[in-house]
Amino acid sequence: MNSIAWMDGARPRKAGRAAVGVAVLVVLGALALAPWFTSFATQRLLVEVFTVFSMALAWNLLAGYGGLVVVGHQMFVGVGAYALFALSNRLGINPWLMLPLAAAATALFALLSALPMFRLSGAHFAVGTWVLAEMLRILTLNSEWLGAGGGMPLEALGSFDRWTRNAGVYWSALITGVGALFVARLMLRGKLGLALMSVRDSEAAAAASGVSIQRAKLALWVIAGSITGLAGAVAYMNTLQVTPDATFSLNWSAAAIFIAVLGGIGTLEGPILGTILYFLLRESFATYGSWYFIGLGSLAIATMVFAPGGAWSLVTRRWAIDPFGVRRDMPRR
Amino acid sequence: MLRTERLDAYYGLFQALFGLTFEVKPGETVALIGSNGAGKSTLLRSIVGSVRARPDGVLLDGRPVGGDPERKQLDRGIALVPEGRRLFPSLTVRENLQLAMRNGRKGPWTIERLMKEFPVMEAFQHRPATALSGGQQQLVALSRALVCNPSYLLCDEISLGLSPVAVNEVYELLGRARSDGLAVVLVEQNVKRALSESDRFYCIQKGRVVLEGTSEHADHAQVAQAYFGI
Amino acid sequence: MRTMRKLPKPILESDMQAFIETIAGGLMLGALYALFGLGLSLSLGVMKMINIAHGDLIVLGAYLCSTVMQALGVGPFLSLLAVVPMMFVIGYVLQRVLLNRVVGRGALSPLLLTFGLSIVVQNVLQEVYTADTRSLQAGEFALQGFDLGGVSIGLLPLASTLISVAIFAGTSWLIGHSHLGRQARAVADDPGTARLVGVNDRNFFALVTGFVLAVIALASVMYGIRTPFSPTAGPERLLYSFEAVVLGGLGNVWGTFVGGLIIGVAQLLGAKVSSGLGPFFGHLVFLIALLARPQGIFGKGSR
Repeated sequence: MNSIAWMDGARPRKAGRAAVGVAVLVVLGALALAPWFTSFATQRLLVEVFTVFSMALAWNLLAGYGGLVVVGHQMFVGVGAYALFALSNRLGINPWLMLPLAAAATALFALLSALPMFRLSGAHFAVGTWVLAEMLRILTLNSEWLGAGGGMPLEALGSFDRWTRNAGVYWSALITGVGALFVARLMLRGKLGLALMSVRDSEAAAAASGVSIQRAKLALWVIAGSITGLAGAVAYMNTLQVTPDATFSLNWSAAAIFIAVLGGIGTLEGPILGTILYFLLRESFATYGSWYFIGLGSLAIATMVFAPGGAWSLVTRRWAIDPFGVRRDMPRR
Repeated sequence: MLRTERLDAYYGLFQALFGLTFEVKPGETVALIGSNGAGKSTLLRSIVGSVRARPDGVLLDGRPVGGDPERKQLDRGIALVPEGRRLFPSLTVRENLQLAMRNGRKGPWTIERLMKEFPVMEAFQHRPATALSGGQQQLVALSRALVCNPSYLLCDEISLGLSPVAVNEVYELLGRARSDGLAVVLVEQNVKRALSESDRFYCIQKGRVVLEGTSEHADHAQVAQAYFGI
Repeated sequence: MRTMRKLPKPILESDMQAFIETIAGGLMLGALYALFGLGLSLSLGVMKMINIAHGDLIVLGAYLCSTVMQALGVGPFLSLLAVVPMMFVIGYVLQRVLLNRVVGRGALSPLLLTFGLSIVVQNVLQEVYTADTRSLQAGEFALQGFDLGGVSIGLLPLASTLISVAIFAGTSWLIGHSHLGRQARAVADDPGTARLVGVNDRNFFALVTGFVLAVIALASVMYGIRTPFSPTAGPERLLYSFEAVVLGGLGNVWGTFVGGLIIGVAQLLGAKVSSGLGPFFGHLVFLIALLARPQGIFGKGSR
């Protein structure tokens, strides 16, 4: 049944592919030029959008393709942000040059954290990551050299003028967002992606075929962690101050989870759709305070009950499209 | 009488049964013969409520009962001894029986009666149910269904993996149940045993009935043909 | 953070006695954490799911007690007569209407659904009760204590420990000797075959969750008297519950009790070392224990 629909769509898709490609380039170009024709407020919002998108994408990679559901996603955010601030302040170097280091620091952290975390699985793993995140928060809260409760400002940024600062952070966010998508797609269509999908389909068969499950999951963990750490670092360049309670807040996980759930876990289109939905909702309803969150939570519940594949699944139910070519069914386990 | 009426069954998108019609009259024993994957287990599970069925796909004394959950079928007197025995490891033998008895119907088959008829079961009643030999486990699995006092007992491969002695013991117990008037549906890969223990038989192949008849007059060549699909 | 209630006793001189006092306090706090964890252990064992809103439901229980106390002018323990049944019903309905839809769909769905539920509960509490902290007034009882060989023992912590032990013993008995317990073990072993022997799992799961929330109600009253709570206090309770369950070993009720004791002791010892780091030491002990023995103290094999 489905195959016929695919076949029919194939020919127009080839021509359509080029058109879509051009459209994407135009959009990217417009986005890149944003600092010259949008306000600072809009740029700051877009920074939030791109960084939160990256974090949600990373979360989605972990949960949807790796079976690693994380409720402590904020640990990567915090590590990345604090690494950036600490290194930049300590070494007095241009923070933009320190961004790759912040990502690397998060990667290292991911590697080390896998040691205790990979002993757990399923829901236990999820809550275990939360415990770890909490530990980091408390540690940071009690570390004077990291500014303790008050946190730290990003001193080096003071030497730049406002326009440059905003533009720089904006472009970093744009690159992070697009880069994350690019890395994700590259990874999933490559050896690692195949390994992960084979594990999702049947762990026993994958192991029997020589797929190193642990290695694949670890690679995914480090990649996703680095993306999130980088996004966290950029996000906090936007706010100029890191504090333990904010950077290691569960809200980062909540946002990533909502976006992934609303958009569709196990797809690359899901986080895009989810991020758009999330920010639309936020900008429209956040003024309602608690009611906004009640609504958001209820929406997540309703989505899990009625459309576990998220909004993207509703789209694909109507039209058989697969723009990124890395469709992954909602894990049935 | 328990019968299925052009029953279809699916596992997701895969169709396992195609318009299967068969019947069991009260007190009789019917054998379902067929190779692996023919759909025999699926048929039993559709009747008992583990696999979805159309309401009028399964009829008990003329009433549509298809699609109802297992506990409803149990109330109506349909019980299944599942393939692979599937005793609860966290419960003792006695507890396995107690659980079923409490949820099942009242009748002549009680734990006390089973202990009396099979003293060996009394001996190991407090052992964890899976700490027994295969044959003993099968006896317990069969007993677990019997204490629900069904009118129709569906048995899925009860001789699988057992020694000949154990198989005899299991059929001994089944025989005592049948002498009480219980109707039995026997899914068996062992064709000889199936035919010798039943009144009528059906050969199932790829979800369809391909042959049926009285077991006494079964043409073994025909059955072999139906079984292997030659 | 927690406030340590100062008992009207002479301040102890010797380090050893202070140490024993901390241990005793930790054990009693741990008994409360164990009670938090019992509910989680049951729903994990029977329904194979972690309810992320578990901690928020504990806080909900405390708020319900507070409301009943104000409405009827009774003390916290008397309010339980109303709150326990209320919480049972809430749990039953929650499972029946919402959670049953995602049981058996893998670990992901229940986790994400209850995550959303957690957000909803926290914010509903915030709307109804505001973000201010409050505690349950237990009057004189909360401040009384006695001396046991130079170590001061608070009456309230002692009472909550005894209640916790009683509930654990009761639950353990139920699991081992009642029809409900047999059903629970059977469903935990093999849900499909449990249905074959007549277990109505939809109803049963709802009963279990009702029971879990009733236990939570009992725990929340003692928590509410002991610690000021606010709408966002839930997640921390969940973490302590989770640590107690995993430390003790999954599928083992008394294991959760021991796990809770360990977390309680670790937290109080940690707080002695550095006052802000109590919970951190609990987390650390949990992490180290996890590295050393992933299946928990009484767990069977590796997960």
